[in-house]
Amino acid sequence: MIMMVVIPMLVFPLLINVVTSISGSFEDSAEDKKIKIGIIGDTSDYLAQKLYDIPSSFGPKELVAYEGDSSQMLDDYKNEKLDLLLFYAPNVQKKLDANEKAVVKWTLDKTKIGNRGRAKGYMQIIEAEARFLRYDALGINEEALKPFEVIYENSATEQQMIGELAGGFLPYIFIAFGFMGCMYPAIDLFTGEKERGTIETLLSTPVHRWKILVGKMLVIILSGLMAAFSALLGLFLSIQYLDMVPDVKLVEVISTILTPTFIIKLFFLLLPLTIFFAGVMVPVSVYTKTFKEAQSIIAPMNIVVIVPAMVGLFPGIELNIATACIPILNIVLTTKSLIAGNIDYLLFALSFSVMLILAGVAVLFSFRQFGKESNVLN
Amino acid sequence: MIKVEQLTKEFTLSKAQKKELNTNENITRAVENVSFMCNPGEVFSLLGPNGAGKTTTLRMISTIIQPTSGKVEICGIDAIRFPREARMKIGFLTGSTGLYARLNANEIIDYFASLYNVPKALLKERKAYLYDLLDMKGFADKKIGKLSTGMKQKVSICRTMIHDPEVLIFDEPTSGLDVITAESIIKLIRSCKEQDKTVIFSSHIMGEVDLLSDRLAIIHNGELKHHGTMKDFRSEMKDKSLTQAFINIVQS
Repeated sequence: MIMMVVIPMLVFPLLINVVTSISGSFEDSAEDKKIKIGIIGDTSDYLAQKLYDIPSSFGPKELVAYEGDSSQMLDDYKNEKLDLLLFYAPNVQKKLDANEKAVVKWTLDKTKIGNRGRAKGYMQIIEAEARFLRYDALGINEEALKPFEVIYENSATEQQMIGELAGGFLPYIFIAFGFMGCMYPAIDLFTGEKERGTIETLLSTPVHRWKILVGKMLVIILSGLMAAFSALLGLFLSIQYLDMVPDVKLVEVISTILTPTFIIKLFFLLLPLTIFFAGVMVPVSVYTKTFKEAQSIIAPMNIVVIVPAMVGLFPGIELNIATACIPILNIVLTTKSLIAGNIDYLLFALSFSVMLILAGVAVLFSFRQFGKESNVLN
Repeated sequence: MIKVEQLTKEFTLSKAQKKELNTNENITRAVENVSFMCNPGEVFSLLGPNGAGKTTTLRMISTIIQPTSGKVEICGIDAIRFPREARMKIGFLTGSTGLYARLNANEIIDYFASLYNVPKALLKERKAYLYDLLDMKGFADKKIGKLSTGMKQKVSICRTMIHDPEVLIFDEPTSGLDVITAESIIKLIRSCKEQDKTVIFSSHIMGEVDLLSDRLAIIHNGELKHHGTMKDFRSEMKDKSLTQAFINIVQS
């Protein structure tokens, strides 16, 4: 129950919420951080002055001037006393006045994205001002240097954008939690019952074996669907009430996507997938003798399932006849198209049929394995 | 009535099993050409050391596994061709049959009664009779996981008998139990006999066999070593104790 409902519905959305707020606070603190910039020369130099002139709303900064050679400055940079180093020739202003190119070098740590952004931002402001002055001095109309004004208009609706960029996320969550939800009941209802000796009790009753198998499989499928549904519900509720998506318009679009018809279509699509999961897990748990053995085989299968689901997350991969035949990936891509609202129902039917056939084969295989005496009794 | 004719069971060995048993054979014969008969109102004991083939024989009779060859007849029903019909007549209990730890005794009994299609009115009657007979009233509402081994075995027996089967198959029913619980099970087997039911049970304990059996069969390495009435066994044995007579037959 904890695995199937509590984790997907509560813990998972909370975890996403915590991660987004932590990364948000890191971004905020990077913007507010006072950056120390090391220079060789004097704070009255042209570039140093220009840096000083940039308002602190572009990020607080402090200039540290070093005299002579750069070794002391480099030591301080290595010891993280400085965040950025700025190198320039002493004749920067002369070069600019002579309409020549002045070389400026920033030393920065590219792994610290905030620092890189600052250096680029400062440089853009200084360069824009220098360029403006140069156009003015040369008597050039800046507009005359722009022969085209190009407009790139996005023809995709917001729904399509969400479908393409984030639409894969929904089936991905469903697949991951659906698999997890199936896993524990599948192991417990076969290997677990074998270990505890209850399967023998059950087999001694006048119930058809196929009925026992179907009953157990239904429990596994329902558990998988329940876990997946809990995860989706948790995610939906956190979008609605926990301000996980700050953009109000985006929340509105998400609400228009998640209609009852869409959810029904989604479950219709994911049902054969969950049956397939059960059909793959049951033969393993029927065959294995201990809970741990079953777990050690089924748990790594998670990766096999997750990888095609992840491929579907990449933008640019589209649903076509070929991808509709690749199990799991087809479900992700079909859901993406459903969200984007540009679904081709023939491909929808193909994806569904592929999964249905696979589910049928897996169930038949389960039935054969369950029929073997050596598998059922320890 | 149970009628067993030329019952044989072969198991295919996996590579690991071959290594474990130190053999190159692809199959192992757990039971070979075993025949016996057990009549209503009789208690039949199946004796044999560990690994003799007792559990396999009883599992074949109760239709949990299929014999490789031979015949099993339960109350006139061909148990191989009509296993479900045969199972309706059988109550099967082995030392290894477990119960669902999260359910209480009442829930277990109700669940199995529904699997045997026991009508509600009859279920109430059977429950009252068996709870009283097995002294189960004190723990009927407790979860199985919280019960002692003896209590669990009583629930198992109640589960075995809830549909009032004509044939009872007990595989080492007193194994691991204290003397008081074992005694109550012995009483129950006796009462089954009085009710004209067919009872077959396997055991290691000669005392139990002596107390209960009308007929006995001794099985060793899958083969029947002795088959006859308890009365004949006692009169024919040359040793002082039944245990010694049993050992001698097995070792002969």
